[in-house]
Amino acid sequence: MAAETVAKGFGLGRPGLRASLDVAWTVFVARLRIITRYKGAILLESFLPIFFAAMPILLGIAVAGSEENAANNFFQNTQAAGQGTSEYRLYMLLGSSTFMVVSLMLWLIGYWIRREQETGTLESLYLAPAKRLHVLVGVTSYSLVRSLAAFVVAMFVGSLLFGVNPLSGNLLAAIGYLMLGVPALWGLSFFFGALILRVKEANSVIQLIQWVVPFFMGVYFPVTMFPPLVRITAMAFPPTLMNDAMRSALLNITSLYGPGYIVLGLMFMAAWITPLLGYEFFGMMERRIKRNEGVGQY
Amino acid sequence: MAEAIIRVDALSKTYVSKERKKGRKEKKPVQALKGVSLEISDGEVFGLLGPNGAGKTTLIKCLTTLLLPTSGGAWINGYDVLREENAVRASIGCMLMGDRGLYWKLTGRENLDYFGALYHVPRDVRKDRIEDLITLLKLGDFVDRTVETYSAGQRMILAFAKALINDAPILILDEPTVTMDVPTARELRHIVKELNRQGKTIVYTTHLMHEAEELCNRVAIIDHGEIIAIGTTQDLKASIRHEDVVTMEGIFPNGSVERLRAVPRVREVAVTEAESGRSRLDVMCDDSRAVLAKMIDALSGNGATIEAIKPKEVTLEDVFIAKTGRTLAVDTRVLGERAVRGRGG
Repeated sequence: MAAETVAKGFGLGRPGLRASLDVAWTVFVARLRIITRYKGAILLESFLPIFFAAMPILLGIAVAGSEENAANNFFQNTQAAGQGTSEYRLYMLLGSSTFMVVSLMLWLIGYWIRREQETGTLESLYLAPAKRLHVLVGVTSYSLVRSLAAFVVAMFVGSLLFGVNPLSGNLLAAIGYLMLGVPALWGLSFFFGALILRVKEANSVIQLIQWVVPFFMGVYFPVTMFPPLVRITAMAFPPTLMNDAMRSALLNITSLYGPGYIVLGLMFMAAWITPLLGYEFFGMMERRIKRNEGVGQY
Repeated sequence: MAEAIIRVDALSKTYVSKERKKGRKEKKPVQALKGVSLEISDGEVFGLLGPNGAGKTTLIKCLTTLLLPTSGGAWINGYDVLREENAVRASIGCMLMGDRGLYWKLTGRENLDYFGALYHVPRDVRKDRIEDLITLLKLGDFVDRTVETYSAGQRMILAFAKALINDAPILILDEPTVTMDVPTARELRHIVKELNRQGKTIVYTTHLMHEAEELCNRVAIIDHGEIIAIGTTQDLKASIRHEDVVTMEGIFPNGSVERLRAVPRVREVAVTEAESGRSRLDVMCDDSRAVLAKMIDALSGNGATIEAIKPKEVTLEDVFIAKTGRTLAVDTRVLGERAVRGRGG
């Protein structure tokens, strides 16, 4: 039997670069529209990092007996890690706010895939000719905007509440490190999304990362406090690198990874490798699902 | 005859199904499609008929690139479904999941704009297309409300509009009139006919025989993953026309069907359960006038109460009964293994 059939074009579809950009933009705008129709969602999550930071700050003061003792204790412990800062409140606030960015980037992707599975819109996405990458760019850009909004609000309100000055260090360098860390977060979110696509359950995975990720990121302490094997694992985790780089810039301390050029080199490497590996993993999982039950089964 | 725009060649699909028995999980291969081959001509309305689990949806999912076939191939609009997935998707407008697949927190217009972008319809063209669809499908009253406020019928109409957003040369519609009220379903069928008149090729799956008879140029009957009959509705009906169909209604005790089948010249019997213990028997036989008295005797001898006997026009449903020994109705009872697959077409 001959393979060819008659061809009658694509109707109104005009694939190309402009159409691909339009896909990413339309997906981005649609996600923003949807979240703004849930009243107060963005505002409420912005306050979470403040509570995350307040708990260890108050615990530190309670254990040390006074704010001054807490600062001294923290200085001694971070000094051992080669950093030496007594500004434990900004350290914690920055750590928890950065964790919020990482966490939101991951679980917004996880919940997005799960929700699309449940409502049937995932199958609609797979029926359309738009490339998965362009849809993912739209969704991850939305996640980024939402998490950065939470970061800015948390840092601003948290600084006022804890009486710290986030502008005392090199703010521009910190923002640069944050932006440079984003592609690696995209890559991780592709991994995470693929996992949700496969296990068809988001809550347990999200619960797990809520605890594992801050642990490995060293949100409340330098990761040099870990035993060697855990320390190496934690330091190989891109969000730990991003968090430490931002702290080194804002608190004027040495990075755990070494001089600035090493930090930059590692961040560039993570920015390339993680998205490539993540997207490949997503594609692999997608093919596996299509070989068996298909994306429609949830 | 027009050239083929869809070609399916020996397509097979085997799933691995997981079964849980007594706390143990067992993997079992399930062959959902068994070497299906068919051609659909450009400009045709092609019906795909079969009961639940027959393999219709699996076939459509393979054609629309949602599933990878285990073996065989398919070509749509000049593209290979295995190697040119995006071009295949761009060639089709789909309505596969009823009113699922819409964003409930977006308005109807926003949904159409979103999916238009996913189908690479340029922004300015998209705007005009949405306006055209609003007019064509009379969406004006609700298109600017969020979908969560829609009735089931309104969601179905919007899902149909979504399938038309890219104005693709091929439309694949899976049970599009389910949950629609009668006038809306009639209107939709009218639009489908009009779209076909404009040159679109339409693949239409349905359980409703009158829909298939009204719309389809040709139909394929699929059962247990195989195409058991294919042709125009007239040809398929003609293939069993040498048989009469008699419908009997009443109360039929166990064993009635077997006794009826034992009557000479009775070819097939399908049972549809009604309420209050009543059933309907569709009996296919040669020369019903000659055999009717014997059928009544056979049933009465078994204690059956016959309340009505009606001769019946041959329908596609009867074609399905003749081929499989079952009716397509949801409450169909399977009548043992006396399938007559391969008979008459």
